[in-house]
Amino acid sequence: MKTNTQLIVGVGNSGTTVLDRLAAEHPGIRSLLVVNNDSESLASSLVSERLNVPEGDPGDGFRAIDPEFCKRIEGVSVVLLCAGLGGATASFLLPALATLAKASGMTVLASVGMPFAFEGRQKRDLAAAALKKLQSVCDAVSVIDNDLFSGGVPSTAPVGEAFKMADIALLASLTSLLGMLSTSGPVRITRSDIVSVLGGHAASSRFGFGSAMGSNRLHEALEAALKSPLFSVQGKTNALRDTTKAILFLSGPSDVSFAEVQLAVAEIERLTGEGCQVKVGVAAEAPLGTPLKLFVMMTSASASSPASVAPTLELQNSVEPVAAIPSKKQEQPTLKPKVVKPAVKGPTKPTQGVLELDAIFKGRFDKSEPTIVEGEDLDVPTFLRKGIKLSSPKK
Amino acid sequence: MARDQIYVGLEIGTTKICVVVSEGKADGTINILGVGETPSRGVRKGEIVDFATVTECVREALLDAEDKTNVEIGNVWVAISGSHLRSFNNRGTVMIPEERDVITEEDLESVETNAKEVSLPSQNIFLHTILQGYHVDGRRDVIDPIRMECRVLEADYHIVHGIQTRINNTLRCVESLKLGIEDVVLSSLASAQVVITQQQKDLGVLVIDIGGGTTDYLVYLDGAVRHTGVLPLGGDHITNDISIGLKLPMQRAELIKIQEGSADDPIGSQGGFITIKNDPGFLGCEIDRISLQTIIHLRVREIFELIRRDMDAGAEGALGLMGAGVVITGGSAGLRGIASVAEDVFGTSVELTKSREIGGATQIFENPRFSTAIGLTKYAMAVSANTPEPGFLEKITDGLGGIFKRSSR
Repeated sequence: MKTNTQLIVGVGNSGTTVLDRLAAEHPGIRSLLVVNNDSESLASSLVSERLNVPEGDPGDGFRAIDPEFCKRIEGVSVVLLCAGLGGATASFLLPALATLAKASGMTVLASVGMPFAFEGRQKRDLAAAALKKLQSVCDAVSVIDNDLFSGGVPSTAPVGEAFKMADIALLASLTSLLGMLSTSGPVRITRSDIVSVLGGHAASSRFGFGSAMGSNRLHEALEAALKSPLFSVQGKTNALRDTTKAILFLSGPSDVSFAEVQLAVAEIERLTGEGCQVKVGVAAEAPLGTPLKLFVMMTSASASSPASVAPTLELQNSVEPVAAIPSKKQEQPTLKPKVVKPAVKGPTKPTQGVLELDAIFKGRFDKSEPTIVEGEDLDVPTFLRKGIKLSSPKK
Repeated sequence: MARDQIYVGLEIGTTKICVVVSEGKADGTINILGVGETPSRGVRKGEIVDFATVTECVREALLDAEDKTNVEIGNVWVAISGSHLRSFNNRGTVMIPEERDVITEEDLESVETNAKEVSLPSQNIFLHTILQGYHVDGRRDVIDPIRMECRVLEADYHIVHGIQTRINNTLRCVESLKLGIEDVVLSSLASAQVVITQQQKDLGVLVIDIGGGTTDYLVYLDGAVRHTGVLPLGGDHITNDISIGLKLPMQRAELIKIQEGSADDPIGSQGGFITIKNDPGFLGCEIDRISLQTIIHLRVREIFELIRRDMDAGAEGALGLMGAGVVITGGSAGLRGIASVAEDVFGTSVELTKSREIGGATQIFENPRFSTAIGLTKYAMAVSANTPEPGFLEKITDGLGGIFKRSSR
């Protein structure tokens, strides 16, 4: 019988870096495993459980670690995979490990980063192919397109800065998924909630996170989350209106208040429109004085429409673990999943960062202590809160 | 009796910092010698957010006042506002020992102490303990119970408290300029000293002071303070709403608010367009007058509705008893149509006020923008008039009839 345990697996250099950060920030997490073919990187890793993949052909490498990996995942119920796709190791190993874990009947979630455009077309193609495989195996995949960071990094910033930002985003995505799964907090997000939002062939999820302390913490965390470059889609702002599903996860000290949760939900609903289904999770278990962390993830109809997600999941749960062998059920026309073309983008042109006007809705009170009365932030103009339309000024 | 003395009131507001230097007259009026004023920077919603900048602004305002009045300022009375300030009404009770029978000064102190024996949030301190009235063996509305025979003395107080560190920040700012602080006074209490009469206090009145960052309000019933409140909303919010709604820079929005703004209900308005000319860095545009009016009306109405709801909760039934209606003061009192919105929300008569019982250059000081700072000097004079001379039994009633005592910080 499987116990309700999780294993977090970092694959490749990026996965190792992210798990190192995770181990440093959360020393209590024991179930970490890094898999890499870079023995130097493994040797310096903070994670004690390591699988060294022999260098050379990735297929041979996988076969070499297969038994050990299978042994390690015995008794585990959820596997969280984490990697930056594009490199030979992660792009091959991640779908393979996911398939192995899925074959053992466990829930498999993945948090992956897509390469920057400047890393070359070959890397992006490799990553796109790996993502496709991964999405057909995993229950849910959180995808972070690193290229969206290009607008948020100053042009003079060192290259390392961009990678650092991508790693931080990947870590935040991973810890939030982990937090959602492991929390026993007052408002829970279940595995099926995560699968319903992130399942399917999402090309990328819109994603933001922020953390803050002090009396203005909710506002500051929300602001940081909404200003995330990952909320901007190809330079287009205000792209949140087509969001159909969103996860809002708040974790922090035990004094996270009802009004704060209410305000955060109201704000997400205001930005996404009425058609969006918002799943809310709160884990208020940390000691007082720790920062409030806010995590928002959104998917739109084009990325994972309700019509396409449900049958896809049904098939995913019954699919044979080896993706290369088509299952009999897949051949039945009634259960054939709706084909959703992964909207994988090619290298995008660098674009100038655009001010997220919708996120700046409080003008000069943006940075000040919010005036919350009866769950409403009164610093937001009254006409906006009442949804009254005004005529635009004529130039 | 009031002594001829110089009183200095300092208001650190969100839009301006002003220093009023007044001379207290023997007949109970004050004569304003001059006003020092400087635009405020580093204050948000009535509270200091940039200590160094605010200190510099206060210094400028003080120098301005000293220049204009030729008075060397040493001590000041400071107005305080901010959303951290809270208030409630409480009754204190003391039993008079049988061997004594008559009420003494110590009994009055004991009854006040008893009224303050409430559990405040740990970071809060008392700012004011305002006497509403004494009850002597059940007899209500006793003004001066000293030497009266009594078994049980009771007293009702309106208690104002706030977060210590935030109050201290204001004090530190003033003290860093080597000034002495006479006392800290709730802004609305200061304003009320000059914008309403004793008759209005007796009849019942709601004073609303709409400043830049806060709206302070206070209810008088039967000559005593029954309720006070501070909303961290003010003229700045109106300007900000205009700026966001009509996509104008803040300075433009402020100008449009003053020159063209109206809080009147836009339904029934004739409409039209307002042309804003080009300026360096700003492309001119035409804005819809109804949109402007809608933005202002909604915000002003919301502020009044919040006050009304707070009064319904904190001073139940007071609205129906306010014979003198509502008096509006503060910088935003000049907004067109504000009185009609207030009339609609409170369902009573509304008066836009000017400072009363003031001598000096009245054309300038009738401006409701200065009512808090002027009120501070009037408050100062009233409190000083009741400060006991050595060997003289202190009287509790004050010269204003507002029955308040000095802060019990």
